[in-house]
Amino acid sequence: MNSYQQFIRNFCIIAHIDHGKSTLADRIIENTGLVSERDMKEQFLDNMELERERGITIKLQTTRLVYKAKNGQEYIFNLIDTPGHVDFTYEVSRSLAACEGAVLVVDATQGVEAQTLANVYLALEEDLEILPVINKIDLASARPDDAKREIEEIIGIDAHDAPLISAKEGIGIEELLEAIVEKIPAPKGDSDGKLKALIFDSYYDNYRGVVSYIRIFDGRVKRGDIIRLMSTKKRYEVTEVGIYAPFPVPVEELKAGEVGYICASIKQVADARVGDTITLDNDPAEEPLPGYKKVQPMVYCGIFPAEGEKYESVREALEKLQVNDAAFHFEPETSTALGFGFRCGFLGLLHMEIIVERLEREFDLAIVTTAPSVIYKVVLNDGREEMIQNPSNLPSPVEIHHIEEPIVKADIMIPKEYVGSIMEICQERRGRLIHMEYITETRVALHYEMPLNEVIYDFFDALKSKTRGYGSLDYEFLRYEKSSLVKLDILLNRELVDAFSMIVHESKAYARGRFVCEKLKEIIPRHQFEVPIQAAIGQKVIARETVKAYRKDVTAKCYGGDISRKKKLLEKQKEGKKRMRQFGTVEVPQEAFTAVLKYDDNK
Amino acid sequence: MAGERRPSAHTGKNKAPGKSLGLYIHIPFCMRKCNYCDFLSFGGIPEEVREAYFRTLIRELGYYGRLYRKDYYVDSIFIGGGTPSLVEDGLIGGLMQAVRDSFTVSDNAEISIESNPKTLTKRKLKTYLDSGINRLSIGAQSLDDELLDRLGRAHSAEDFLAAYFLARESGFQNINIDLIFAIPGQSMESWRHTLERVLGLAPEHISFYSLQIEEGTVFYDLFREGRLQAADDELDRNMYHTAVKMLEENGFLHYEISNAAKPGRQCRHNLKYWSMEDYLGLGLGAHSFLGGTRFGNVTDLNEYMQAGNGDSAERSPFTAWNYQNTANDNISEYLITGMRKIGGIDLADFEERFGVALESLHAETLERYRKQGLIEVRDNCLRFTKKGIDISNRVLVDFV
Repeated sequence: MNSYQQFIRNFCIIAHIDHGKSTLADRIIENTGLVSERDMKEQFLDNMELERERGITIKLQTTRLVYKAKNGQEYIFNLIDTPGHVDFTYEVSRSLAACEGAVLVVDATQGVEAQTLANVYLALEEDLEILPVINKIDLASARPDDAKREIEEIIGIDAHDAPLISAKEGIGIEELLEAIVEKIPAPKGDSDGKLKALIFDSYYDNYRGVVSYIRIFDGRVKRGDIIRLMSTKKRYEVTEVGIYAPFPVPVEELKAGEVGYICASIKQVADARVGDTITLDNDPAEEPLPGYKKVQPMVYCGIFPAEGEKYESVREALEKLQVNDAAFHFEPETSTALGFGFRCGFLGLLHMEIIVERLEREFDLAIVTTAPSVIYKVVLNDGREEMIQNPSNLPSPVEIHHIEEPIVKADIMIPKEYVGSIMEICQERRGRLIHMEYITETRVALHYEMPLNEVIYDFFDALKSKTRGYGSLDYEFLRYEKSSLVKLDILLNRELVDAFSMIVHESKAYARGRFVCEKLKEIIPRHQFEVPIQAAIGQKVIARETVKAYRKDVTAKCYGGDISRKKKLLEKQKEGKKRMRQFGTVEVPQEAFTAVLKYDDNK
Repeated sequence: MAGERRPSAHTGKNKAPGKSLGLYIHIPFCMRKCNYCDFLSFGGIPEEVREAYFRTLIRELGYYGRLYRKDYYVDSIFIGGGTPSLVEDGLIGGLMQAVRDSFTVSDNAEISIESNPKTLTKRKLKTYLDSGINRLSIGAQSLDDELLDRLGRAHSAEDFLAAYFLARESGFQNINIDLIFAIPGQSMESWRHTLERVLGLAPEHISFYSLQIEEGTVFYDLFREGRLQAADDELDRNMYHTAVKMLEENGFLHYEISNAAKPGRQCRHNLKYWSMEDYLGLGLGAHSFLGGTRFGNVTDLNEYMQAGNGDSAERSPFTAWNYQNTANDNISEYLITGMRKIGGIDLADFEERFGVALESLHAETLERYRKQGLIEVRDNCLRFTKKGIDISNRVLVDFV
């Protein structure tokens, strides 16, 4: 070990959503004296508005801190943030790979959650030292001993001297920092070896191009070096290396064991993918670091400009997002109902929701999104296979030999009193129970195999709703399986609206058809004529509702010359009309597309 | 301005000011609040407060008189409420005197006052006529006592008839009767019966309003709790068209969505609202449209009565907000108010006023609704068809 390395600690924080990861990061930063309290934005690491609102981390922020330990030595802490959701498992695994240890935050009032567990397993796979801490001990409902026992029983690591902290109140932080110095190993690696640097996150900066967060395992890198990305074999000249403190500070060089950033005029995040290895072009490493994979979208949906929104504006926004998000894909798509738009691919449902919200908020766009779909493998009679992610592109039934759908392994963790109702919703969604285990006396893990199209439809909402928010879910792709799937179409005033089409399991078609018709009946306003709403499989109508014609929409009286009131009323009505989409002769509010997907507690 | 084109009817002693002006004067007092009413009015206000209110009105008249009497003459006055007939007749007499002190009122001005049948007396009616009020509007609403009770009206059908005859005896030659239809529980038969009896009285003007359940009313709360069933839209429209038919058969001219009059008896004041002419609203929460600016008075009674004590010169102390209309505002307001008139809007007048033809401004919208049979052009006027009136807001939305 090089001598400088013994004073470095590279670690991350693993926690379930809401268990206090960001607050703890704030406290650590505060207590290492790097940032004055005055400069601290609440929850330092989460800098996107959306992330702050949802309390989750999507893009990573990594910070270098200096901690003066009780032994009088100064230590460099590289606190590596990890994304906090099931959709970003791979990114999490790469962040973990950049560390030697992980601080595992467990909420003293909630105990261990499925997703925490998933991340702990990832950390164990990377051979990280796990340092458990019990958070929120200031709350009256805190049960620190139960939390410790759960950690020992479920994860199988010693938790008896886990620091008891309250990140919110700043209790026990000093003790935790000392534990980081003592328990988490210093990095190893040969600073004179051939360069091997792991990219664990990349983002696009308008001025510097792609900035990649890297962990150097061997060797060193400095400005002017010609680097090579080992998966793409592409070469770039390094324009800057530096550290985040937490704002970027250029440094002379980065060497084995250190964490920092590198800029090399890379134009797209997709060219500096997470997990790739950087080496020197003139003295390359023989093998890349293990674990690289190119992530693939699992969920697709259509994104269309809403009435009055420009196609070009949407395209530009999608391009900007893509530059920063290697996992996000899009391509042009045309719908007879919605016109020109884009077919977009996401890692999962949350990823999709986040992108949609960013388009609406950051880019201030009015968009319509269609039902999310998974990718179906369609085997044709002639033996050819087609991967279909847009229900409208499904070949005619006579050409199809059979259809296969993606199956995932779903790990669900719930308090035991909800087992019955959760098994019921899993059953309804064609889940196959593989295994059930009592993790503790009160908590149960259910392991299911389930079609992904059921998971993305409304499963997560249903799970949260049935368990009052206490249930958690983690899933990963298993395989494709043959299945009886049909295309369900929706007709408004006898005209097919392709944007409503979806692929569903035969056994679910009637119920889904009825549900969509009922929902649309609630949402579609009355017209001058009756509007029949029909759900159909091929030519066969399986459900029907009717929106009655309206008879009256007239203001009887404008009193005392108060024109402004009448005008406001009409303006409000106009706003409502703006959010309408014209399908043939029928006007449909844009909310209709998402409303037909929402989980309904009463169903 | 339309006012400038109107031949001056003014024959006063002073040099004739050029433009016509309507005055609306709001009296926000009533015996009690009706169950459907969301207007700015209060029941149970003591006499001394009402007197103080009238003193404020007179201050306000003085303020605007100083600003506008040299440019405008008043050719319509509408004393509305609330229930203006509730207050002591001396207050109305004093108010009318103050109007004449502050403004030039043309000799043939239309001067209306609203009344509740229960509050009218011989003495009040005489005072009104003496002060120059020449048009009486009586809030009958229905001639079905059960419905009147449901509406929370303080009078009976008998009270209304007595008041009507008293007004005729007193000398009122221009009377409007306000009616409401589509009252929860009202049958077509009851509505017809009310119309027949009212037509039998041969008033000069009839207003017939479809009941709207508005937020902040007793009806709204009952409706929300499911204890009140709103009239079915189908019935509502049948009642409306029945009324139009009966009125027309009896020599009435249906000239605005909810108004009909004997020829020549259209309400000049209300027509100003529908034709974007200048009007000045005085009193609590009153609205004005003057010289292209819309403004509204404060809506808090105490605030209003405090106002104008220290007379500031720059801005009216009675005003809570004002808004200078843009060219687009003027066009859309001209359309949404003008289309309330059954005769519609004169396309030549539109072009003259705004320097652009309506057909070129809204070509696509006009074509679409014309095809759907909701609007039509007759005698170079754009207007709603009978079918179009029923759903007129759907069309007007596209002009906002």
